[in-house]
Amino acid sequence: MTFNHINRRLHLYLALVLLPWFLMYGISAIPFTRNAYFNNLYKDGVPMWTTRIAQAYKRPAPKDRLPDTLQQFAKEVVNDLNLEVTGSLGAHQPNDKRINIYLVDFRHHIRITYNLAQKNIKVEDKRFRWDQFFTTLHARGGYQQDSFLNDLWAFVVDMISLSFIFWVASGIYMWWHLKQTRRWGIVALGSGFLSFVIFLVAL
Amino acid sequence: MYLALFLVPWVLVYALSTIVMNHRHFFQEWYNHEPVEWTLEREIPYTATFSTDAKRWMVAEQILSDLNMEGSHGARGGLDNQITITRNNTVTPQRIIYNPKTQTLRIENQAFRTNAFLERMHRRRGYNQKYLTDDLWAITVDLFILATVLWVVSGLWMWWELKVTRKWGAVSIASGIALFTFFLFTI
Repeated sequence: MTFNHINRRLHLYLALVLLPWFLMYGISAIPFTRNAYFNNLYKDGVPMWTTRIAQAYKRPAPKDRLPDTLQQFAKEVVNDLNLEVTGSLGAHQPNDKRINIYLVDFRHHIRITYNLAQKNIKVEDKRFRWDQFFTTLHARGGYQQDSFLNDLWAFVVDMISLSFIFWVASGIYMWWHLKQTRRWGIVALGSGFLSFVIFLVAL
Repeated sequence: MYLALFLVPWVLVYALSTIVMNHRHFFQEWYNHEPVEWTLEREIPYTATFSTDAKRWMVAEQILSDLNMEGSHGARGGLDNQITITRNNTVTPQRIIYNPKTQTLRIENQAFRTNAFLERMHRRRGYNQKYLTDDLWAITVDLFILATVLWVVSGLWMWWELKVTRKWGAVSIASGIALFTFFLFTI
């Protein structure tokens, strides 16, 4: 088995295994680029958020706004409310008066708003939207969640990224061995890099 | 193949920026959770007067035009206090703070961080700005999206034509789809 053979097979099988992610990242980029269009599609009077719980609540605010502290605080709040973390958990403190906590899985988003000043808390469910289903898939990543499956997803995201770099390297290697396509290949590669540099300067 | 060769820089930027975003926590700790620094480039007098009902975006566009810095930007604040314009340059974003009371413009440059640069490139879209270069960039993003779908379709077709790889190719596709579906229903 030659290096050429291994390179071609790895290029192919890696792409076939990662095909759902590859396709997902391509399709899910559309709602990001056509955000206004999709927002208009869902202007049908159905509210974006529906309140599930609204009640008095008191828990001392976290001592600082560091991500780890906020994450721990969010876990405690979610525990107090008997909510289940099915996907990822995140928290955001925009000011001293409010802390937002998000529970997100691919199909369902929950927002918890803790009003520190008024000592109350609200839990809301987000309506399902296909565009947001895809953008959630696209944006999911990171190793800061507790569950093994979340870490496994993040690992696959790393694999995808490294595969892209591998496909570039192995693709360029395969192209270079096709002598009849070298000239136009150089034109394509060169014009791509030139365009990219122009964008870097001009944007 | 030629499309892939043309889009090599985009592929590399999207891949590297995805790694950066997937390890954002690491980079936040690397920089001790400090926000990116802004350094003063210059502070100059700016004696233009705007009517009280002038919109923020009008003021921002006028200032950028006067400074010969037109391009993708965002603005916040108001004439009653100060207006902060962020000029979204790819490598060095700039911030222009207009203070109507002191009639000055403070121009600041954002310190370069590789991770921030890659994230900016990943998130850059276009179409929502009125500048041609932004529209052209947005077209390349659309081209990249179309290319990914085309590569899936053409890749499947090329694989099917290679009879010797059909069996293990089918195993690869099935295992990928199974894992993806599993994730969809579990996390």
